[in-house]
Amino acid sequence: MNLKFINANIIRANIIVNIKSFYRDKTVVFFRLAFPVILILVFGTIFMERDNEIFDLNIQDLDGTASSEQLITAVDSSKRFKITTVDPAVNARPYAMGGKANLVLIVPKGFEMSLMEEMSAESSGKSVTLTTLYDPSSFGVTTKMGVLELVLAGINQKMSGKPAPIDLTEISVLKKKYRFIEFFVPGIIAMAVMTACLFGSVNLNAELRQKGVLRKLSTTPITRIDWILSNVLYQFILAVLSTLVMLVVSYFVFNVSLSINGWLLVFVALDVFAFVGLGMILTRVAREAESAAAAADALMFPMMFLSGTFFPVEMMPEFLQKFARVLPLYYVNEGLRASMVFVDHMASLKNALFIGVFAFVVFVIGTIVTTFNGERT
Amino acid sequence: MTINTPYAIEVDGLTKQYNDFLAVDNLSFTVKKAEVFALLGPNGAGKTTTVEIINTILKPTSGTVTLLGMDVTQKKYDIIPRIGVLPQGFSSFDRITVRETLEYYSRLFGCRKTDIKGLIALVNLNHKADEQYRKLSGGLKQRLGIAVALVNDPEVIFLDEPTTGLDPRARREVWEVLLDLKKKGKTVFLTTHYMEEAEVLADTVAIIAKGRITAMGSPLELIENNVNYFTMTLTSVDENMVGIIRKMGFDPVPNAYEDTHEDTQEDNHGIFKIHLEHTDDVRRILNAANDGKASFISLDIRKPNLEEVFLKLTDDPLRHDLSSMKETV
Repeated sequence: MNLKFINANIIRANIIVNIKSFYRDKTVVFFRLAFPVILILVFGTIFMERDNEIFDLNIQDLDGTASSEQLITAVDSSKRFKITTVDPAVNARPYAMGGKANLVLIVPKGFEMSLMEEMSAESSGKSVTLTTLYDPSSFGVTTKMGVLELVLAGINQKMSGKPAPIDLTEISVLKKKYRFIEFFVPGIIAMAVMTACLFGSVNLNAELRQKGVLRKLSTTPITRIDWILSNVLYQFILAVLSTLVMLVVSYFVFNVSLSINGWLLVFVALDVFAFVGLGMILTRVAREAESAAAAADALMFPMMFLSGTFFPVEMMPEFLQKFARVLPLYYVNEGLRASMVFVDHMASLKNALFIGVFAFVVFVIGTIVTTFNGERT
Repeated sequence: MTINTPYAIEVDGLTKQYNDFLAVDNLSFTVKKAEVFALLGPNGAGKTTTVEIINTILKPTSGTVTLLGMDVTQKKYDIIPRIGVLPQGFSSFDRITVRETLEYYSRLFGCRKTDIKGLIALVNLNHKADEQYRKLSGGLKQRLGIAVALVNDPEVIFLDEPTTGLDPRARREVWEVLLDLKKKGKTVFLTTHYMEEAEVLADTVAIIAKGRITAMGSPLELIENNVNYFTMTLTSVDENMVGIIRKMGFDPVPNAYEDTHEDTQEDNHGIFKIHLEHTDDVRRILNAANDGKASFISLDIRKPNLEEVFLKLTDDPLRHDLSSMKETV
């Protein structure tokens, strides 16, 4: 790289033209800024629901006594259920089969009396039986039944008046309690920067080359280095802007608790360099704008789904986990989570080194193979 | 090192080879300062390759090119600020306005005093100054391309097929801009495949075919040195007319430019071109037609022009190419 070929005025002029072209193209603005935000809103809402999931529970009280009412109140106070009472006159089976409920808890007639007998000195040792009527074809009903069993076990324990012989203490490996959205946002940041830089680089270089704009530029004082640097800086500016928008929306809508430190800028910058470089190589390999975009798609989709953006890599089979570890986006995802969620600087550094080496190699290759006039270097 | 020379461009033994294809074959010529030089040839003749080597876009396989006294392969970044280039099929950033495009290129050249307003006026784009590039018509885009080529007030201007694809009106508008540059004493290197364009604009014309220059000189010199006949174009639907003319020893050629019906030749009627050496031949043909009671619709007699030179100096495939040029004019 010859430093005399770097001209700050030219780089600034190029960035201004790119930014004007960006904000005048509403489609690009949407996909660059609004689309990642929509993803955060959609997935954030889904994950938020799962974090604080409250199940619908239908209870039919056939006993109608103070004890049965106390039981219903105790279930309700667990805060895991939204309770709907079913009229005792209704036949519970057709009610459940009619799709009105996938789980009905039936408190039988004589519940209070049986309970009193069990709690008296002349206890027969038999439990009072409640019935659950459930639809096994309904999604999530097993989980709901499991939660109900836990709640009832808790009530039983309390009623026995003795402390539980075995208790459980939860200790999180993290300093704070995190929700899934807090793991998701860094992944979306990494993915949004990757797609924008890969496509931005491919579109800019392939389209302008195909249209002959690069040929014209080769007859001006702008050098290859000026051109590449200005494009990287432009992509970096947009990446920072897009990251800011995503973080602001995440804070305001989901009140996320993420640590913002220098690593965020480091990973965004490495993400930009890596995927702008990859885009330049693709543009060179696939000569037409359309085939370069198709090649970018082919690279992008496996990375989006297999490098832990939408779900943890650990959920995948062993061989796919190994594959994920060769994808550059995996290290951006892991690095961003290490810095923003776990605040683990050593892990951030390790991931930054991996993606840094990759970014350096592809960027250098991209710079070497990029030309203005279409002749092979 | 800059050499003081009366020539803006000196080309010596220039060759460009792409794998097995020889695009430019040992070209040698010079272009004087303040002259309009036209490289005239059909598509694929090597015009663009030649101009792109001279204006530093491409590298030659062999030979030397000196531009403003500097070797183009050695002094690219010294040459570039002193030249302006309109590449073939000029294009720019879609969503940038005319004014912004000129400001952008002006910044690339580091020109702080570029008269953007004056340039816009020169190419007659005042009413479109704030229009985005993508919304301009083909002619307006080309005029913007010429203005872009002038932002750095260049000493030599390269225009690669500046009017290709434009309608006749837009073409003439571009010619006016180029004639203006000529008046200002700029050296203009023009490539074209339009005869009329070269004839109207150029001081010197070099005809190039298959990568070689086949003739060079002023349009008048080329005509005088290469064509000693004038052309009679006869339009007739009379079946006897061609026979009568052939009997007189002339060779009427169906005019492919204006009559594209293949069956016309077989029917022996339509539009024909006849090359005549003496003006007296016209009278003889008319008398023979009168005697043979053969009628005709129109008769046109033209002095030789570059088109005839072109036809004479190039092979048959070029005739075909010429016919397509004529159709698009």
